[in-house]
Formats: sequence, C-alpha cells, structure tokens
Amino acid sequence: MIQCPSCGARHAPRLICTQCGAPLAAELDCFAALGLDRKLVINPAALERSYHDLSRKIHPDRFANRPATVRAASLSATALVTRAYRTLRDPVARGLYWLELNGEKLGKDNKQVPADLAELVFDVQEQLAELRALSRHNASAAGGLAQKVGARRAELQATWDDSQRALAENFARWDASGASDANRLTAELKMILSKIAYLRTLMRDVDRELENATAA
Amino acid sequence: MARIFGIDLGTTNSLIGVMEQGAPRVIAEPVSGETLLPSVVAIAPDGEVHVGRPAIELEPHLTVEKDGRVSAVGFPGGEYGAVVRSVKRYMGLGGGEVAPEDGNRYAFADLTGPVARFQIGKHVFTPPQISAEILKALKSRAERALGGERVERVVITVPAYFNDGQRQATKDAGRLAGLEVVRLVNEPTAASLAYGLNRSAEGNVAVYDFGGGTFDISILSIKEGIFEVLATNGDTHLGGDDIDNAVVNWLLEELPDQIRTDRHVWNSARMAAEDAKKRLSEAGETELVVELPGHSVRKRLTRGDLETLAAPFVARTIKRCEMALADANLTAGAIDAVVLAGGATRMPLVRRRVAELFRREPLCSLDPEEVVALGAAVQAGVLMGTHGDMLLLDVVALSLGIETMGGVMERIIHRNTTIPTGVTEMFTTAVDNQTHVDVHVLQGERELAKDCRSLARFKLGPIELQPAGVPRIAVTFLIDANGILNVSARDERTGREHSVDVKPSYGLTDEEIERMLEEAIDLGEQDLEQRLLITARNDAEQMLVALRKQLGEYSDLIDAGERGKIEEEAARLEAARTGTDRDLISKLVHELNELTTPFAERIMNFEIKRALEKKSVEDYS
Repeated sequence: MIQCPSCGARHAPRLICTQCGAPLAAELDCFAALGLDRKLVINPAALERSYHDLSRKIHPDRFANRPATVRAASLSATALVTRAYRTLRDPVARGLYWLELNGEKLGKDNKQVPADLAELVFDVQEQLAELRALSRHNASAAGGLAQKVGARRAELQATWDDSQRALAENFARWDASGASDANRLTAELKMILSKIAYLRTLMRDVDRELENATAA
Repeated sequence: MARIFGIDLGTTNSLIGVMEQGAPRVIAEPVSGETLLPSVVAIAPDGEVHVGRPAIELEPHLTVEKDGRVSAVGFPGGEYGAVVRSVKRYMGLGGGEVAPEDGNRYAFADLTGPVARFQIGKHVFTPPQISAEILKALKSRAERALGGERVERVVITVPAYFNDGQRQATKDAGRLAGLEVVRLVNEPTAASLAYGLNRSAEGNVAVYDFGGGTFDISILSIKEGIFEVLATNGDTHLGGDDIDNAVVNWLLEELPDQIRTDRHVWNSARMAAEDAKKRLSEAGETELVVELPGHSVRKRLTRGDLETLAAPFVARTIKRCEMALADANLTAGAIDAVVLAGGATRMPLVRRRVAELFRREPLCSLDPEEVVALGAAVQAGVLMGTHGDMLLLDVVALSLGIETMGGVMERIIHRNTTIPTGVTEMFTTAVDNQTHVDVHVLQGERELAKDCRSLARFKLGPIELQPAGVPRIAVTFLIDANGILNVSARDERTGREHSVDVKPSYGLTDEEIERMLEEAIDLGEQDLEQRLLITARNDAEQMLVALRKQLGEYSDLIDAGERGKIEEEAARLEAARTGTDRDLISKLVHELNELTTPFAERIMNFEIKRALEKKSVEDYS
C-alpha cells in the first residue's frame, strides 16, 4: 500500500490518488504505468494519447505551487511514465523489456553473426575495409566503391524491415497464445532481437564509412 | 499568489516578460522604453555595479571617474574595475576550463578551482554573481514598470545544450539575486511556446535559435497543447559574437599585432563590426571606422563580404540542424513550421540557409530577440495554472553516464530522452568488507570518461561488512524538468535510504552561496534598497521634468479639467519623491504615466501633422 502525500488516502500502487487527484510515487511496470493491458501489440496513436493524458495530470509543471512532497511524487510518477512510454513506443525496446519481464535477457556476449545474414555481412565488411583504405588516397575509386556499398546498404535496410515485420508477428502470437507457447516464442523473440541489434551496428558502421567517403 | 515572471538571460541581451490577459508581453524600461537590457555588467572601483547601457557607456573609454581622476577600468594591468560582457559564456565553467584567449580579456583569480572567478580590482566575482546583477536589474525594471508589484518567482531560459553545471550555475544566479527560480526552460522550446500559444505553429516544428553566444536547434511535435521535443542539438560556443569577431579580425588585419590586440582598439572595432552587421541586414554596403590615436581605420564592407566571413559559422549551424533531424527521425520536408529566435537570425544569409534546408520560409511575426522571453512568460503562465491545456515535454540534450572499469563511460540516460526521467542502477562491492563505493557521474557523448564532462562524484556507504558482490545498493538518477540531476540511493537488502553526499565537480557549493548571500546582505542589502530607491526617484524626476515642459509647450492640447487632474497627481508624485517609500514612488510613476498617455498621444499626433505640413510646404516651394 502507498499513501497519498497530499490527502493521506491509502491505495494499492497507482499514479494518481483517487481521492484528491494528486500524483503518487509508485513502482509499476511499464504497461501498468500507462494503464495498458499486458499486450505486446500496441497502437502507437493510442499509446501516445494515454501518455499525453497522463502527463497532463501528473507533470511537475502542474504542481509548481504545491508542497515539496507533492512535487517529489509528481517528479517520480512522471519519470516513471516517461520511461514506460519510451520503452513501449519502440518495438525493439518493448521486446527487450518483455524478455526482462519474463526473467530473460539478450546475452551481452551475443556477438555471433545470425546464420542467414552471414554472407551479406561478410561482403559488406570486406567492402567497408576496402573503402576505408581507398578513401585515404584514391578519392575517385572510393567514390565508385561507395556507390556499391550504398546498394548493399539498401539490402541491409530491406533485411531490417523484414526483421521488424517478424517482430510484429512474434508480438501478435504472444498476445494470441500467450503462456502456452512461451518457450518457443521467447527463443524466437531473442533471435529476432539479436538480429536487429546486429543489423543496427552494421548499418551504423556503413553510414559512418559512407559519410567519411563523401567528406573525403 | 504572486505572479511568475519569465526571464531570457541572454549572452548579449536579457529581457523580462509576463503574462497579461492571456498574452505574453515583454516589460520595457519605464523611462527609456527599451525592452532589451544589454547583458553587460560594469564594476566600478568602489565596487558599485552598473548593468546595461550605463555599463556600456563606461566601456568605450574603459575609464571611470574616481575622486576626479580618470582611471583605467582594468583587465589585467588595469587595477580598478572591469566591464564584463557575455558572462553567460563562463557560467558553470571550472577555473581550468577558461580558454587561454579569455585571459586577454579578463583577469581570473583562480585557474584551478571548480568555479571560474573574475578578479576585478580587490574583488573576486564568480559568473553567477555577475549574472545575478543582470537578474537584479531586470527585477528592478519590472517592479518599477508595474508600479511596485514584487518580482519574486521566475522562469529563466537556458540554451538547450547547457550541461548540468551550467544549469545549476543559472539557478545559483537566481538565488543570489533573491529570486526563486521555479523552472529553467530551454530557449528554443520557449520560442516554440510563444508561437504555439496562438496555434501559429503546429505539427512538426523546428526552432532555429542563433543567439549572441550559443546555437540551438530543437525539433518539436506540437499537438493539442502538448509541446513534445523530439530532438535537440546545438553548440554552446557558437554565436553571432563569432561573426562579429571574424569581422573585427578582417577590419584590423593590416595593423601591427600590438595595436590589434590592444583592448581599446579591439573594443571599438567590435562595436563597429556589430553595427555594420546590423546595417548590412538592410543595406548592401557600409563603411566601418575605427578611431586610433593619430589616425583612423576606414574600410568598406559589402553584404557579400560579410556573408563570406559568416558562411563557415552558418554552415556549422546547418550541420547541427541535420543531426537534430536525423535524431528526430524526420526529413527536412516533414517539418511543418520553422521558428527563428536570437539576434543573429536577422542576417539575410541565415534566413536564406534555413529556408533552403527546411524548404519553407521561417515564421518571423514575433521579434526574434523577444520571442524567447515571451515564451518564458508563457511557461510562467503554465506554472501559475492559467494555461491548463498546455504542457511542455522537453528532453535532456546530453547523455548521462557513470565511469566504469577502465575509465569507460557507461551511458545510463541517453541524450534526447524526455524529462523528467529516471534510471535505477545496482551497485555492489568489488572486495570483501568494502565499506564505500565511489561513483563518478559524467555527461557527454564520448566513449571514455576522460573525454566527457565530470558532473559529480559521490560515495555510497557506509556499507555493512560483507563479502564482495553481496551488498546491493540501488542508486536512482533522476533528471528533473529543469534538466538537473538528483541522486538518491537505497540498500536493497535492508530497504534503508542511503545518504548520498554528492560533490559537484564544478560550480558553487551551497555553503558558498549562503556565504555570498550573507555577505551581500551585510554589505549590499541596504545598498540595493538604496539603489532601487535612487533609481525610482530618478525615474520620477525625469518624468516630472518632461511633463512640466510638455504642459508649458503644448498648453493648447489640454483642457483645464485634464490639466488639473494631472497636476494633482504630479504633486502627489513630487511629494512622494522626497520620501523613502520606493513602492509608492513606483506606483505613482506608473499611475501618472497612464493618466498622461492620452495627452502624450495628442502631442505625438500634433507633431506628426506639423512635420507633414512642413514637408508639403517644402514640396511646393
């Protein structure tokens, strides 16, 4: 139970006092913080609406003239809601958070190249190394290679988009079958998320090299 | 409940605004009618402080009168006083962070400590103390203009790219000026509030804020009164001043070194450059003149030349805009409105580049030099609860992290995260029976701790004696709506709150501020009251002198009834002026001002008519 710093009413953990409307400092998971069911498929517009509505009610700017205890509760409640919103808004962050809620996580040592990406990754890395060497002393040759790398970048982007779709499908299956299929879905979720993480790093490297090549 | 005021504490100029009947307005100096207060502070040999125009008037000669003698106002070498410009550039800096070339402009008392300190004659001033003088001048201006209403609670704007130390220093300045800083607001966000209040900016909005000393770009989504910042970028050491300096270097390039670096010469050249830059916003060509002992330097500058000099700086701002767009995940074409803020956006080159990038003409219905102060006033209105439908969701511009093994910065709050935000990190011990854990908090985007800015260090403990790795201390890093870090810690096992003794790496300690306040009260409180009284009396006198002259000169424009009322009120002010009740004097000045407004308008109309008649006579002859 938590107690409202403003009117003293006691509640199960929640962010707004039902008696007086003051903000409450509580520890809630991301879904509960935003008043959502624990479902992985989220409508971004609806999510934004709950975030904005809640922010209007609990944000510290609404309590600038109230005692320090109320302002502290408002700060803590708003920080919680903001974090929850950022976590759930981004599908990757949402997936990682889901793993966390299920006592799982993506190992930090998960640096292995996903099998179906191996060939593409190998090619891209080779081209990047070549581009790095060329951009130092042969600008025109580097320009030509940069174009090729640019084409590869588009392939990576397509793979990325596929992974995002796979992620959305995984989310839908969680919501449909839930706990009954948890093991298989967890394994699949982990696989998709590591692939995305891998692609993200690779695409960032490509972008950086392309930018260096254009700058040179 | 006292009103909250909005202050734009700028590098070059500062302003104060307030909400009136649902609309923000900037408060002008009651006598001169000026809205901009130059952020220039002069400290005279006797310790007396001048702010704004009077400080600038002291500056060109760099001299002050003392006992009938004229003495140099010192930088190094001079001994008596100083004129400090652009103090904002020094806010939150440690002694060691002062750039070497700044040593040519000011004498510093301490180049190693956690706070840069100006040495001015026998006195030492920190940047927050100098800024506090600007705040006090704004407070006094508003109180005089509003007939004695007290200014106690304020919103102050800061560059979005200000780090924790710079924000803290700004709050300290407020405290030293006797003000409660209810909220710090990022300048570009404030500008968006000013435009967003009447819905002239909605959807995806880019705010391009190029001020005297800093550049900020913020991308916001404005929707149903929610102002949500998506990304912000900037450079706290890039401003219109840099363009002025480039013009000065060009202007003086043919002179020998010892003349070029002479402070008098440099200062007059800087003023010539500033004026030329302003003129070239309208004109195509202008002449710059710098008077030297013996001869003068004269050079012609075209708008094209100026644009060549300014181009590299403008290019840097455009690069920052592109970075902000990328962080917001938007293309330039997705921007629905562009807002300009800051004096440097008056330059046609800047407007052209911005319009090219965003492929639309920027909004400029509000004065770019007033828009931030207007927005600060709007935010003050939000905080007073008079604009219940509006809410600002800003971001932290710099990542926050902690130093981990091997001097690596581990990011725990990423830049462009919406604030307020918080993260809880778990800490434990590395060896058996360790009683304390040291935590080093950093701010910045670099990988290594040594390349980021140290924000604070603190010690967790005492921890109960236990084997390594057993204690679990949860440390919560909370960034509040002002962008300032708050730290708390709790022992996970016992549930006990830990006291966290945070030692900021830079900036003033609470004790130092208390001491400064006490000293100021000992020496200055009476001085301040006295000074405010003298200013109020001077205002009254100027007003009465002007009024008497008008009543004599324009007696045809006023009937006996109105004259009687005005004279009655003037007599009341005359009587109050010799007393010591400054609130009463301010109130009467304000009332008399209102009472004489119709008369003043008639005089104005009469003069305009006369000027037109004279012109038509000339035309015929």
